[in-house]
Amino acid sequence: MLMNIFIRSARVVDRASLQNGQLVDILVRNGLIASFTTTNPDLRPETGAVVIEGGNLHVSAGWVDARAAANDPGYEHREALADLARVAAAGGFTDVALLPNTQPVVDAKDTLGYLRRTADGFPTVRLHPVAAITKGAKGDDFTDMIDLHRAGAVAFSDGDHPLQHPDLLVKTLQYLRPFGGLLINRPEDTRLTRYGQMHEGIQSTRQGLKGLPALAEVMTVARDLRLLAYVLETEPAAPDAAPMLHFTCLSAAESVALIREAKAQGLPVSCDVAAHQLAYTDEALHTFDSNLKVNPPFRGAADVAALWAGLADGTIDAVVSDHHPHEEETKNVEFDVAEFGMLGAETVFALIQTHNKDRLALADLIDRLTTGPRRVLRLPPVLLAEGQPAALTIFNPTASWTYTRTLSPAKNSPLLGQTLVGNVVGTVLGGHYTVQQ
Amino acid sequence: MPQLSTRHLLGINTLTVNDIQLILETATQFKEVINRPIKKVPSLRDITIANVFFENSTRTRLSFELAEKRLSADVVNFSASGSSVKKGETLLDTVNNILAMKVDMIVMRHSSPGAPHYLASRIPANVINAGDGTHEHPTQALLDSFSMREKLGDLAGKRIAIIGDITHSRVALSNIYCLQKQGADVMVCGPTTLIPKHMASLGVRIGHDVREALAWCDVANVLRIQLERQQIKYFPSLREYSLYYGISRQMLDELDRPIVLMHPGPINRGVELTSDAADSPHSIILDQVENGVAVRMAVLYLLAQER
Repeated sequence: MLMNIFIRSARVVDRASLQNGQLVDILVRNGLIASFTTTNPDLRPETGAVVIEGGNLHVSAGWVDARAAANDPGYEHREALADLARVAAAGGFTDVALLPNTQPVVDAKDTLGYLRRTADGFPTVRLHPVAAITKGAKGDDFTDMIDLHRAGAVAFSDGDHPLQHPDLLVKTLQYLRPFGGLLINRPEDTRLTRYGQMHEGIQSTRQGLKGLPALAEVMTVARDLRLLAYVLETEPAAPDAAPMLHFTCLSAAESVALIREAKAQGLPVSCDVAAHQLAYTDEALHTFDSNLKVNPPFRGAADVAALWAGLADGTIDAVVSDHHPHEEETKNVEFDVAEFGMLGAETVFALIQTHNKDRLALADLIDRLTTGPRRVLRLPPVLLAEGQPAALTIFNPTASWTYTRTLSPAKNSPLLGQTLVGNVVGTVLGGHYTVQQ
Repeated sequence: MPQLSTRHLLGINTLTVNDIQLILETATQFKEVINRPIKKVPSLRDITIANVFFENSTRTRLSFELAEKRLSADVVNFSASGSSVKKGETLLDTVNNILAMKVDMIVMRHSSPGAPHYLASRIPANVINAGDGTHEHPTQALLDSFSMREKLGDLAGKRIAIIGDITHSRVALSNIYCLQKQGADVMVCGPTTLIPKHMASLGVRIGHDVREALAWCDVANVLRIQLERQQIKYFPSLREYSLYYGISRQMLDELDRPIVLMHPGPINRGVELTSDAADSPHSIILDQVENGVAVRMAVLYLLAQER
């Protein structure tokens, strides 16, 4: 049943809105924004409406997470799609792009169809499957990409398996171009990272752990940018073209610099950073806490500073959760045996706000959670105006709260038990809403 | 009575200078004990210790076991090769099963860096690291320092060259921490591919010429080529390694002053050391082994006070 929802006195964070920065009252009726007006304390919501009010409320277009692991089908014990839908909504997301590394991999219409049919049952969040580029995401044979595009794949990526072969990358970019498909790649030359456990540096030397050098990422970014330029040699991109190649999960300062330069030259390229990369350096691993074992790994303070700067100047288009649930059996083990990845979808906003220290304006952060990823993923824009379908995130950027429990069956977050700044109050999608406790 | 600052021996990195002093002074007393006709004292007779070895070891395991027995502890041994994953039981389950049989201290060797740290934060027993992968081997570093001090006295300002496969060595890292805390000047020497790229930021000198290292140092601590830990290629052949990084008696004799030659064992004779070098008067390799028992007695004795 569609609810009427009344949001009282929330500050608009949306550069496209005329009321940006103002306090408004919003009434959502039949899934549409029925009124969007300057706040008026005398205004009474109609009977039966759900009222969201109190505290330092802010409202923006619904947030988009461009990278979360789907574990369903295949690894439902880690997190089923229904769990992920709840977790994403708790993190303030109304849209989530799913990695294709399920079992089986999303490399044909059957798995894609399963994801889309299941996702249709979740009214509060829209899940957008990313399809694999190669069968089984093994980096060998192409999937039927036109077919997958028509069946609703939002983009193409081998997900957790970075593309290694340069010819494969060129051919994918060429093949996707006629229908405007997006290639997402996590840049890592895996021949330089074999057996690596953490960032290669002084800290890995101290801990006796094999390193994952930043070089493996930087070289791949440089190479892939050159390959993209090669593809465009004979058919240049229009000045305002949507990105063709998206680098996901940047971690190294040099990668940010390379992409900044490529964008200045007009290459249709975009990139994102995982929220946790903005909060930790490799020194955090000194206790061998496997919940901090992620790939790409936490790097040095200069890298983290460059990521913040890249976000602030718009080189980095989006913040992602890189949400990777893992069962206790693969995390509560020796560090080098533990799987890579941490929970993230519930804590993206809070993690960034907690570590922000005025490095990033709130409006810029919200842009990287809304307009930025929407443009990358070719999702239709969300307008905060009367008559528009409602897709809203309501949040309090200054509230302190303690992350005592996760809605995920997995528990692999180093943040559990910590007090964070910046709270998601709820989301509204159509006539449905979630309000966090 | 002086005490350690910790209830586990996870690595040298986490010890204070005073801890190191205390262990080495206590070891001096135990060295006297093990040279008596009756080599045993009753200090740990109410303590049960499990030696849990997930990697092969002869010297270290025997040394710990003798140290435990000479302190009158009850001793059980557990050996399994391969990681916990291959074995089908988790490390934590294995150790908790042993502890359920009322064991007080765990001496563990494991192939995973940080495995003793992982364990120490999850079990009530004292944990002693007997080598964790390519990370640390604290009792080896302590016995190496003890042996150097017997020869050279205070190590402040002394020049120690660690020569060989630094990348795959836990002895190197523990020795660097231990020696630096005592004020020694440390060089690591070996092929560039066998020295971690960021080693210099630990404050050590880096060398690639073994003759220069020998001429510079007061002590050469020569490490084993850890072929079993090299997952990918690091150098062309043992032949070439021994030609350019191996140490011979002749090289030692040509130095203008005598140096002390050490090796944590087991030696690859003819690879990092020729036999005539290993058996030369420069060598204190068997003294190291003897001192190992005394140092481990000191560690066990002191940690038992922290229960």
